Order: sequence, then C-alpha cells, then structure tokens
Amino acid sequence: MSKTNGISIGRRIFNRIGTYGRSLVIGVPLWWLIIFFLIPFAVVFKISFAESLIARPPYSKLLEWKDGLMVLKLHLSNYGYLIDDDLYILAYWSSIKVAFFSTLIALLIAYPMAYYIARTTERRRGVLLMLIILPFWTSFLLRVYAWIGILKTNGIINNVLMSLGITSEPIVMMQTNFAVYVGIVYTYLPFMILPLFTNLVKLDNSLLEASADLGASPITTFFKVTLPLSMPGMIAGSMLVFIPVVGEFVIPALLGGPDTLMIGKVLWNEFFSNRDWPVASAVAIVMLVLLIVPIVLMRNAQQASAGASS
Amino acid sequence: MKKLLSTVALVAMMTSPVLAAEKVLHVFNWSDYIAEDTIKKFTAKTGIKVTYDVYDSNEVLEAKMLAGSSGFDVVVPTADFLQRQIAAGVYAKLDKSKLPNLKNMDPDLMKALGNFDKGNEHAVIYMWGTTGIGYNTKAIAKRLGDKAPTDSWALVFDPANAAKLKDCGITLLDAPTEIIPAAMNYLGLDPRSTKKADLEKGAALLTKIRPFVRYFHSSQYISDLANGDICLSVGWSGDVFQARDRAGEAKKGVEIGYSIPKQGALQWFDTMAIPVDSKNKDAAHTFINFVMDAQITADITNYVWYANGNKASLPMVEQEIKDDPGIFPTDEVKDKLWGAKVYAKKTDRIITRLWTKIKTGK
Amino acid sequence: MDTPQKIANGAKPWIEQAETPFIRISNLTKKFGEFTAVDNITLDIYREELFCLLGGSGCGKSTLLRMLAGFENPTSGRVEIDGQDMANVPAYARPTNMMFQSYALFPHMTVEKNVAYGLMRDGVSKSDAADQVADMLNLVQLSEFAKRKPEQLSGGQRQRVALARSLIKKPKLLLLDEPLGALDKKLREETQFELINIQESLGVTFIVVTHDQEEAMTLSTRIGVMDQGEIVQVGEPHEVYEFPQTRFVADFIGSVNIFEGRVSADATDYVRIHSQEGDCDIHVSHGVSCTENQKLWFAIRPEKLTISREKPRGKFNFVKGVIDEIAYQGNLSVYRIKLASGKIVRVTKSNRARHDGDAFSWDDNVYVSWDEAAGVVLAQ
Repeated sequence: MSKTNGISIGRRIFNRIGTYGRSLVIGVPLWWLIIFFLIPFAVVFKISFAESLIARPPYSKLLEWKDGLMVLKLHLSNYGYLIDDDLYILAYWSSIKVAFFSTLIALLIAYPMAYYIARTTERRRGVLLMLIILPFWTSFLLRVYAWIGILKTNGIINNVLMSLGITSEPIVMMQTNFAVYVGIVYTYLPFMILPLFTNLVKLDNSLLEASADLGASPITTFFKVTLPLSMPGMIAGSMLVFIPVVGEFVIPALLGGPDTLMIGKVLWNEFFSNRDWPVASAVAIVMLVLLIVPIVLMRNAQQASAGASS
Repeated sequence: MKKLLSTVALVAMMTSPVLAAEKVLHVFNWSDYIAEDTIKKFTAKTGIKVTYDVYDSNEVLEAKMLAGSSGFDVVVPTADFLQRQIAAGVYAKLDKSKLPNLKNMDPDLMKALGNFDKGNEHAVIYMWGTTGIGYNTKAIAKRLGDKAPTDSWALVFDPANAAKLKDCGITLLDAPTEIIPAAMNYLGLDPRSTKKADLEKGAALLTKIRPFVRYFHSSQYISDLANGDICLSVGWSGDVFQARDRAGEAKKGVEIGYSIPKQGALQWFDTMAIPVDSKNKDAAHTFINFVMDAQITADITNYVWYANGNKASLPMVEQEIKDDPGIFPTDEVKDKLWGAKVYAKKTDRIITRLWTKIKTGK
Repeated sequence: MDTPQKIANGAKPWIEQAETPFIRISNLTKKFGEFTAVDNITLDIYREELFCLLGGSGCGKSTLLRMLAGFENPTSGRVEIDGQDMANVPAYARPTNMMFQSYALFPHMTVEKNVAYGLMRDGVSKSDAADQVADMLNLVQLSEFAKRKPEQLSGGQRQRVALARSLIKKPKLLLLDEPLGALDKKLREETQFELINIQESLGVTFIVVTHDQEEAMTLSTRIGVMDQGEIVQVGEPHEVYEFPQTRFVADFIGSVNIFEGRVSADATDYVRIHSQEGDCDIHVSHGVSCTENQKLWFAIRPEKLTISREKPRGKFNFVKGVIDEIAYQGNLSVYRIKLASGKIVRVTKSNRARHDGDAFSWDDNVYVSWDEAAGVVLAQ
C-alpha cells in the first residue's frame, strides 16, 4: 500500500514537473516575442499618436490629468501626414521596388549556387557551405566598406579597367543605385542560398531520373520538377531577403547616391532632421503593416505548396 | 578608420551605451575633431579614463540627447542646436568655479555665443569655423581655366560651372540648414531669412545644380577630396584643411584649397556642454577645464586646423594656421559671415522636405 | 519476316532461337572506382519476356538495370535494344521506361498529371493524353483517384500509379526495380498476378529486379541469378530450382541440403559419392562428368526427402539422425534432423491429414532417404 502510494506521489510530482517544464519551454519563445517584439512595438505605436515637442523626450504624453479627469489625446494627424505628402508613398514604393529587384537578382544568383552545392560531393559541399558562411565572421560594415574600395572612382575596378585601356575615364559606380543593388545582393545572398540549399539537398534524385526516363530533357526536368519542388525554399529565401531589404538603411546610406530614396532614409530624416518622433513612429508602423501583408500571403503560399510536396 | 568609427556611432545610434561607470568619462565628439594626444594627456594628468565616441551630424547627437540616458558626460553640439536643446532641458548649468581656465576664452566670441546660450550658462566654445568651398586646385584649373572663380559661390552654384565639374565630382554637406542659406546668400537673399519663398528660391537653385552633385555627406568628403576622388566640396573649413594635409602626405599630386566665398559664409561655433543626466559631472568639468588650457587648445587647433575661441592659446598656434584667411578670416571677410539661425519647428520641416526634394527629386 | 509464336502461348525463343534477341547485352562492365558492380555480363532477352534479375543486395542487379535505363554509363561493353546501340542515347531518348523502387511519383502533381507526364513530354495533345490517361487509370483501377496527390494514396495505390505512369508511353521495354518491394505480403501476392496480366495484355517486355526468389519464380519467364556482379545462371524458374548449376544458386533459390563428398565410382549411367559429412553413400542415376576421387557436392531439396523409423532397403541414399526440432507451418512441417556428424538436414513434409497419429516427435531416431534421381550433383 505504502509502496503504491509512494509511486503515485512520485508520479504526480513528476507529472507536475513535466507540465511546468513544458510550459517553460513553450514560454521561452513567447516571452522572447513579448520582450523583444511586442513591447517595442507597443512603445512605437504609442509614440505614433503623440505630438512632437521640444522637450525630453521630444513628444507629448497620451494620458494627462486635467481638472481631475484623465484625458487621452490621440494625434491621428501623424498618419494623415503620411498621406498628405506623396514623399512617403513614393519612398514606400521605391523601397518595395528595390527589395523586389534585389530579391529577384539574389534568387537568380543563389539558385544555381545552391543547386550546385546541393548536388556536389559531400566533401566539396562542406567546403562550399563554409565559404558561404565565412563572410559572416567579419563585420558587416567592413564588408560594405570593402565594396566602397572596389567600386569607387579610384577603386579596384576602375584601376583595372583603366590600366587595361578598356576605359579612359573612370566609371562612376559609387553613390549610384547600381552600388546599392551590389551591396544588398552581396549582403543578403547567403540568406537566399541557405534555405534554397536545405530544400534542394532533400530533392530525391530518383524524381529527376523518373522525369528523364519519361522523356524530359534536363531543362524540362528542371522547370517541371526541380523548380516547383524547390518553391518552399525559394519562398523562405525570398522572405528572408525581401523583408529586411525594405527597411534597409545602412547599405543605401553608405553605397547609395542622394537620390536613392528608401523608407529607411525617410524615417531617419523624420527622426533626426525633423526631430519628429511621432511621425517617424507612424512611418515605422505603416512599414510594419505593409510588410505583414506579404508575410501572411507568402506564408499561406508556402503552406499550400508544403502541403502539396510533403 | 576614423571614418569607420563615425559610421559605427551612427549605426549604433539606437543602442544605448553602457551605464556610466564612476571612473570612466564618456565623451561624444565629432569625428576627426581632436588632437591625437589630447585624451592620453588628460588621463595621464587626472587619472580619469575616457571612452571616446564620435558622430558626424548634429542630428545624431540631438536624437541621443532628446532620448535621454545617453550615458555621455561631455558632448559637442553646434551652437544653434545647443540653443534648442537647452530649451528642451538637455544640458546642465556649468559650475564656473570648477572652470578656472574660462579666463583664457576670447570675450568677444563668448559674447557671440551668448546669442545662443544666454549668459554662457551651459556651454563653452570648443572650435569654430566656416562652411565654405574646398577644391582640388589642379582639377578645377583644368576644367575652368586660371580664371576659375574659386573665391565665389559661383564656382559651385553657377550651373554652368557645376556642369563642367560634374565628371570630377561635386559634394555638398548633408546639412540643409547650412547649404540652403548659402545658396540664398549667393542669390543675394538674406541667408537667415525664414520666409518660405526665400527658402524655396535657394532650393530651386540647388535643384538646378543637383544633376552635377555626386553625393551629400558630412564626413566622407575629407578622404575623397584628399584621394582625388572628388574635386569640389562645400564643407567645413577644418575638414578641408585635413584633406589638404592628407593629400600632402599621400604625395599623389593632389592639391587642395579652401576659400570663404566673397559673398559671405556661415560662421558656426561648436561648444562643449554637459548633459543634465551625466553621472560624472565633476569629471566632465575637469575635462572641459583641461581642454580650455591654452596649450591643449593650441594643440587641437594645430592638428584639426580649426580656429578656437581661446585667446590665450593663440601664441602657441602655428603661424601658418594663424595667417590662413580660410581659418582666421580677415576683418573684411568677418563682416560678411553670418551666424546660424534657430528655426521654428515648422520651418525645420519645410527645410527638411525641400532638402529631400533637392536630393531625390521627389 | 514470320511472326514468332507468342511467349504467352508457350513459345520459348531462347531455346528455339527462332528470332533475334530484343535486348543484347554484351561484355557489359561497370566499375565505381575500384569496385566492380557489374562484371562482364553477356545476356540476351527476347521480346515479351518477363525476365527477372534475382540476387542479394549489392550483387549488381540494380546497376545493370540502371545501365539499361541510361542512368549509368557502362565502363565497357555494349547494350543493344531492338537492334539499336544505346551507347550515346541519353535516358530521356531511350525506348525504355522505368518503374522505380521508391515509385518516384512527383509529389507536386496529381495522379492524373503524374501519369500524363510522359505523354506531355512527347507533345501529345491534351485531349489525346486525357483519353490515354483515363484508359490507363482504368487498367490499374485508379480512375476515382485521378485528382488526388500521391501523399493521399495508400502504398498499393501509389505502386499502381507508378506502374501506370511507366506504361503510358507504351515502352518497348519496361524496367521494374523491386516493383513489389514496398508492399505487404498479401498485397504483394495479389499484385504479382496483376502485373503478369498487364504484361501479357500489353505485350511489353519486362525486366524486373528483385531479391525475392518467390516473386521471381512466380513472375518470370526466365530468371537470371546474379552474384558479385556476374550472372551465375540463367534459366526458366523450374530449371533454376531443379537444376541449379552452383551451390550458390541452389542455396539462394529455395532451401537445400548440401552434402560434401568424393566420387567413389564413376560410370556412364551413374555416379557414386561417399560423403563423410553424412556418413553415407550416394547413388545418382545419371552420369556426371567427373573423375575418381574428385570433390563434389550433392544438393537435395527438403521436400524431396522422406523420413522413416525403419531403415530403408539398400545401401545408398539414406542418412541416420535424431529429430532436433519440428516447425509446424500449417500446410507443411519442417523437421531439422541432426546427424551424428552434427550436420543438420532439413526435411519438409506436407500435412495431408488433419491429425497424424503416427507423427514424429522430438528426439526420435529416424532415417532420411531419397530417390536416386531427386538430387543434383554440383562441381562448384
């Protein structure tokens, strides 16, 4: 009797630890999201309804006591402002355009690389993956500065071209959109290659053989079998590139020209030049909303195609 | 490397620095704006360790100050920004009993600073300078001949001249409140005007020369000018002189000149101030007093090629610098200089918007 | 050209030599680095045959099949299909189709699209393809699953989709890699006969790779037994079973008892072998090319042995032992009989009566005997 009791108590305790352990494990990502996403988001959201002031901090409080009444003041004008001046819409649009084309170029470059890495021998694969990850071991800023050295008027490319007599005058590449695309595609390429690789490496070789066996040339096989099956990898990679590039500030600031209009720079201007934190916050909130829409759409597409392929 | 640091500071903007430890003084200054040995000497003399960070725009500093809890103990705002930040309650009043070296300061210049900081209660002058034209003498002569108007805003603001310099590279400071008034000055308007129409006229002129401008940046032009990557910068006097120095060291045949245009130029003051939430106010005062030492200020001027507000230091300043009208302008030129204007918030927004339009065309 | 008689009707072109072989494999070798997967194989296969390549894993049977499909290039040797040398013909241009062991169904396509895939690659019009796909799905009884994705099907259904997909182009030669390997035993047996029916009704030549000797016996017109990259014996199922040429074949196909011995008497119409192992003399009623005292092996299947309590008459063809174990398997019982030398002899006895009053039991002393024509003499 006592023995069974002991066991059942022991089990009960064990079960309880199990439940706590489980909620602890589930709780970690939840707390992570609350602390690092929801709270900052709530702060920014709050500021976006305040009024800009010359004070510290430079915006008004939403809640105030007035004659014993709690007064909530929401300044919706910050959002109205974004519609009044077409600058913001143009900046959002041009950021999305830059992000779209960067993603496309990255995809076109990453796909053959990922494909080759996935199909090559195990030993070479390890080396190549290492080379893809290697740049992360140096500072991102140093790598962008290296590009300045390569692209600038007296830089490596122009020196080579001129010493070979291909051009007589240096080609202006720095401070152009070309440099921005180079920088962005270079920086984000690994984020495209790695998900594509993990997808392509799982591709069953017998599917390709089956396709060839049924009369498909290698090119047809690629478009009919490999490409559709790698869709989840392409979507994951594109999301990892597109979303951060929309809000990218540093690369256009360092490599881009003054006419490179991106929402990150507009946000910077609102925040720093105009000292208008509420409008800057509104810009950020709208950007977030604009990004959530494609994320949701892409997730749905991914789930649909994952459902089809697994 | 200094350039890199300034960018890191810019990027790291949002990350709050460490909670100020008692024995470490946190100084936040402009990039390329101090003598190489100043900090070392300070620590040797006082035993106070210094963490030194840099920025390259007043806006970055201001955002940090307005956010509060920046962790910095001494910062170097430009006078017009200082004025607004004092209004926002950012700075602590100086304890003048801890600043015996105040006696070294030039009373006329301190009086001028009084226009921004009534009674000099919050700040002392660090350096001052002008916003003028830095240029590559050979490249300009090659394209515009010997009669190039290097002493006039026409060199850059006349579209005919700017067009000829497009291929060798024109840059402007990314500082709308300095460049737009300069354009207004060239057009014969009051550079301190806050009328929307006047500001728009200045912006319209800048839009005309926009196609010939390679970039707008407030620190990159130093090394680009020195390397010959660009041939004309509207920039800060001392920065252009640093470029001249570096070009000389590189020995690639690049020669740099600086001129204060005959139409006039902006005269600005950079000041040392202590944030109200500094945790090391005593050490901060010690640092400011140390910098006001005649020899230390002279060392900085000799290194950064900016004029200072320290009368006692002048005997120690190199003759070459003292004689350079680009650094210490003649009285005739001095009359044409104008001080920065503190704009109302509404005007600020107009200027920022005009600036974006000039830069992006949108 | 005279129409040869159909294999389905009992013709045996490999004996009659009435027609040229449909597939000629000559001196085919495939090496992977140092390892020789397929070693100098020469083999003829005839039109409408259902030929099984049988062997254990790693014997080279799959490699041989993949060389026929064009997925592997031979190191040396030649493959000819219907008179055409396949040397420079890529997989997608060969008149063959393959059914993969994993089925290799395209996961992103419906059953219909999977089956139509080959037709679309040949530029068949959509409506024609739809008709053919419908017929084919009807044949494999999958019409109602046309719109499903492979993941929504059972194993057996997937197997039939794979078969339909590989047959839709009416290939001259269908290669099947372990076609029934992934099915459970009962389904496998049903499907075996379906496969034969389809093969006969379409008149396609099948080459089937399998490791399952029962499957090979059931399906094939002929079996090629493979070992270490070589074909060790080719023959009809009963030939391979009853007349194995080597101990490997005898042992691999079915169960067998092998006695090692030496020739004690060699005549034109009989041979006698003395086996130390069995402590017996074996009389075989046909001549064997051998010499006096040569080492030989006598192989005999368990079902050809008889157990008795009384000592059989005569001097030859029996051994004495003790019943070590009895395994009742329903239709038959397997007896393991231990000889004095320690050798175990397997005997199967069909359970004709429901209850056998005189059944053998553990530790009974028994004699195991056989007919003088029941076994095979093997020289290697």
